[in-house]
Amino acid sequence: MALRNAVLRQLRVPVQTLGMNQSQIGFLGSIRSFSSNDDHLSREAVVDRVLDVVKSFPKVDPSKVTPEVHFQNDLGLDSLDTVEIVMAIEEEFKLEIPDKEADKIDSCTLAIEYVYNHPMSS
Amino acid sequence: MVSRSEVLSLCRAMLRAGRQYPHYNLREYTKRRTLDGFRMNKNLTDQSKVNEAYAEAKAQLVVLERSVKFHSLYPPKTKNIMEVKLQ
Repeated sequence: MALRNAVLRQLRVPVQTLGMNQSQIGFLGSIRSFSSNDDHLSREAVVDRVLDVVKSFPKVDPSKVTPEVHFQNDLGLDSLDTVEIVMAIEEEFKLEIPDKEADKIDSCTLAIEYVYNHPMSS
Repeated sequence: MVSRSEVLSLCRAMLRAGRQYPHYNLREYTKRRTLDGFRMNKNLTDQSKVNEAYAEAKAQLVVLERSVKFHSLYPPKTKNIMEVKLQ
């Protein structure tokens, strides 16, 4: 017990008051540090990951992949390949996309929109 | 009369079922085989042949679901080397 106190006394970190003026404190006060909304993915992260999934598809030419590319018109895939890509996106973001919505996703734009707006994407 | 969206729904259902296997090799095989199977028949024009193929796939889906339940009773004890992240 005495040893523990002795060690703690050595480890005590000197407290310094940060010299902040009033305007800085006002700014920092507006940042919500425990907001749960920050857990949601940023749009950039979603775009990057969706494009990675599409590029790693063997039938796709990675140089043609852009965030607006259409799977069947631009990349020359067929509907089964679209199903496969949507499944891969589901696995990447740990989602379960119902059939009705999955039928509508036929381009990168729609995929990115869906994932970004889904509350459970991770 | 089987419609295009029904076929795609069936394909999706089979892929989803195959994803639930605890075994890496069964998961990969199911994915590969269902896509190959659907692609093989994708250019059929005769509606009766399409219906036949659809009925076959539906039966296979039932077998697949049962198989997933069975294999989940005996999951593998070690992680497959292919599932280990490359470092």
